[in-house]
Amino acid sequence: MSAQVVAMPDPGAQSRNAASARSATVVRPPNVDQSTTGGLSATLLLAALVVISLAPLATLLMTALLPVARFPTIWTVEGDLDQVISVVTNRIVWRSMATSAMLALLTGVSATALGYLAARAIVRAGDRVRRIASAVAFLPVIAPPIALGVGVQVIALRAGLGGATSGVLLAHVVPATGYVTLFLLGVLRTYDHRMEEEARSLGASPWQVFVRVTIPALTSPLVVAIALGALVSWGQLALTLLVGGGAVRTLPVELLAFVRAGDDRLGAAAALLLTVPPAIAFGFLRTGARQTGAIT
Amino acid sequence: MIARQTRSVRRLWAIAVAITPGVSACAAPSDRAESATGARSATEMAALPWDSVLVHARGTSVLWRMWRGDPAINAYVDGWVAPRLKSRFGITLQAVEGQGAELVNTLVTEREAGRGVGTASLMWINGETFAQLRRENLLAGPWSGRLPNAQYVDSGSAIIARDFEQDPAGFESPWGTVQFALIYDTVRTPSPPRTVKELATWIHAHPGRFTHDQAFGGVTFLKMLMYALGGGVEQFQGGFSEVKYIAGRDSVFGWIKRLSPDFWRGGETYPPDVAAMHRLLANGEIDFSMSLNQNEVVTKVRQGVLPTTARALLLRDGTIANAHYVGIPFNAPNVAGAMVAADFLLSPEAQFEKQRPEVWADGTVLNHVRVPGEWRAKFSSLAQDRYALSPDSLRRYARPEVAPMYHERMLADWRTMIRRATP
Amino acid sequence: MSRRDGAGVFAVALMAAPVVAGGLYSLAAAVGLAGAGANGLSAVRLVDVMRDSSTWRSIGWTFYTAGSATLLATAAALLASVQLQQSRVGRALAILPLAVPHVAAALAALLLLGQSGLLSRIAFAAGLIAQPSEFPVLVYDRPGASLIISFAWKEFPFLTLTALAVLQTAGSTLTEVARTHGADARAIFRRVTWPLLWRGLAPAVIAVFAFLIGQYEMAVLLAPSDPLPLSVLTYERVNDADLARRGEAYVLGLLALLLAAALVVVHERLREDDSGHVGAGGRNA
Repeated sequence: MSAQVVAMPDPGAQSRNAASARSATVVRPPNVDQSTTGGLSATLLLAALVVISLAPLATLLMTALLPVARFPTIWTVEGDLDQVISVVTNRIVWRSMATSAMLALLTGVSATALGYLAARAIVRAGDRVRRIASAVAFLPVIAPPIALGVGVQVIALRAGLGGATSGVLLAHVVPATGYVTLFLLGVLRTYDHRMEEEARSLGASPWQVFVRVTIPALTSPLVVAIALGALVSWGQLALTLLVGGGAVRTLPVELLAFVRAGDDRLGAAAALLLTVPPAIAFGFLRTGARQTGAIT
Repeated sequence: MIARQTRSVRRLWAIAVAITPGVSACAAPSDRAESATGARSATEMAALPWDSVLVHARGTSVLWRMWRGDPAINAYVDGWVAPRLKSRFGITLQAVEGQGAELVNTLVTEREAGRGVGTASLMWINGETFAQLRRENLLAGPWSGRLPNAQYVDSGSAIIARDFEQDPAGFESPWGTVQFALIYDTVRTPSPPRTVKELATWIHAHPGRFTHDQAFGGVTFLKMLMYALGGGVEQFQGGFSEVKYIAGRDSVFGWIKRLSPDFWRGGETYPPDVAAMHRLLANGEIDFSMSLNQNEVVTKVRQGVLPTTARALLLRDGTIANAHYVGIPFNAPNVAGAMVAADFLLSPEAQFEKQRPEVWADGTVLNHVRVPGEWRAKFSSLAQDRYALSPDSLRRYARPEVAPMYHERMLADWRTMIRRATP
Repeated sequence: MSRRDGAGVFAVALMAAPVVAGGLYSLAAAVGLAGAGANGLSAVRLVDVMRDSSTWRSIGWTFYTAGSATLLATAAALLASVQLQQSRVGRALAILPLAVPHVAAALAALLLLGQSGLLSRIAFAAGLIAQPSEFPVLVYDRPGASLIISFAWKEFPFLTLTALAVLQTAGSTLTEVARTHGADARAIFRRVTWPLLWRGLAPAVIAVFAFLIGQYEMAVLLAPSDPLPLSVLTYERVNDADLARRGEAYVLGLLALLLAAALVVVHERLREDDSGHVGAGGRNA
């Protein structure tokens, strides 16, 4: 689970100001004086973070790109360049990556569309509904895959979504919509609907209002929402296996297959490829988001 | 306006979705009738002259659910079988992942949903899966005896004529054979144990260096022990016997419990699957791995998973050999295409290619004497990869599978009695 | 007003539908009405599962690993958020695990922490061990060490981000107020920052715990064979050769769903208490 701004607490009335301060601009000066905690411990922490955050990635890199090394060899450069090339050009890997990408994009867009409509309706509804709704949106986020996957499978079959891929898409959209709804609830809470109402009163149709007022005002959060939904789909494994029955070959599914077939190199390559797009997306998002202050 | 329309459409969907689970529960009886229809259409197809079947199959596509966990097998199916099916028979073959339990689940769900036609036309199955599919009436047939290439099948072989003691009865067509073997490193273990008794001594002398996995390979190993400790496979043939099973199980578990303190990790934990065992063997954590396919060592060395000094090992008490098959689901959309594909898989040409060590090294189901002349020589002269075992020892030590219930019970009891350790 | 409520209720219903459908189907399968091996209404499976001690061992072990990982990640997040407010590099590093999907992180843990893994080989090179069996057992182990570490590694960014957000918004205002009243840095930390962090993080901590309970991808690669994590046990039952036992998978799934629902309720309670009035700032006029 990796939503960045979900269920932000709102302690007390002052927070309302703080919340709008949050949506204004940049980070305020730190409220903990560095001198009390000491520069040394901060440096140590940083060093520990470097090792802890990067060690797993380094392991994957070495396993994927270097020739097979067995205990106790840490690494070796002897071996076929051919084998490395075969890892990088493996057809299964790229095909499953395309499947994953397509599913992720579709999930992101669908989840954002549904989540926006849901969040919008919820934010304008009464308190009770709002509270229940956030709880309900949360449920698919943490519901165990088997209960969720089974329900989705049944719905998919009856809705005539014969091919397993559409069923898997549906399975991904469910938790993704939960995440996106929670995220957009936070965004819409501080969104001023008055501009829209003014445009309506000036005679614009709902569609025109949507396209010319809402989307420009909410572009950044909507883009983030799409990325969030896509991320949920991209990393999914359990639901893909349950609803797809192993027939829909996304990159995580192939990763597990490689590991189960004993091919650690292809498994590590798949793992790295799984990591790259989200890492890039995060890079973009944080710089963009910082400007609008939509995320801290 | 648009928003309101969308909303009411979605409202309808929500209502539809909410009531369908209830409706489905009542739908069960009619689904069985539909499965009977599917079975008839396969038998109808089987009654037609083969040329008609070929005509029906041309220009169609076949979705084949099979285990996709081995790149060598995938290369054979995708890279050799599929193009030839296309160019010679006009069939587009698409092989996708699907095995055992998942196949049964998928078909049951499809039947419950009341869909007349499923998605897959062909499935790679054997043993328990076949048993479950038959029990639940999920297979179409009989059809396999009708295939032209079925005449070359070694139907006299106990391994092929019976699938875990079950009669295929035309509901599945044989495809290949494998035999269980241990794998070891000749450098580390220059003189490995050759019998179960020697294995026990070896384990005791080398604590922490032996284990078995939790999946199919491990259970097959346990069954092998059951035959060896129980006086041979003949004791367990002729259907499932609770009495015989309990006796067999108790001697196996006794053997395990006596030795498990000398197992890897003291027998407290077992590797999840055969691949994990290969990893442990390759990295020197254990000295024996195992595989259901005696030739897996060939392909794994080529992939770099196992060291070049790895070899397969048969135990003189006998190891389990079995055949694997292809079947057609009751709701197959393309029965003709599936039959033509199954027939091609049985052809001497396809069987020979499959058996080549560079390809898959999977045993053939064809009788070497019955096949046409030119193939007889080719099969006999198959170049023996130095990693492969001699056909003589394979034959000598092959033991057939017994009723699937032995496997099911062994796995279930192992999980509750051995895997669940005493705290 | 009521029309708005109506639309809101519909949105809620739409989001709830798959979970409810899943729950209902699982219930039907659990009592023998649906699914493979179904042979009529019977509570046999329900009873079998509830009485089976391996169910409870599994649940207990799952709670233990999820709980330990949550505590570990929370402690690390508290530490990191306090120290890292100014460090952009630090924050980037702390967030990095978010980009690594769970199954990839689990594979990395397997390769890094196994007895013949990378760490072990480094130990060998440093002369600390002579063979793999001398390296501590961290993978496929009963204490679930590598699983806990991997869980914590993956959830740490989310908790850190949440903590940072708490510190930077409400924290800064209150701290300034306290400072103008003459409190020194230490007192501010103890009486403002720390309590704020706890209260602000509580809902996120519950969310992380709930999520980890249902986690499958990492458990399947790193867990021991006994006790099995609940998700792996459930999946094993789904594919059980004995068709009748597959119904048990649905019972287990239902149990997990109920647990998750209970935790969601706790989560909402925490958010309410915390803010007094959830979403009050959301009503736009």
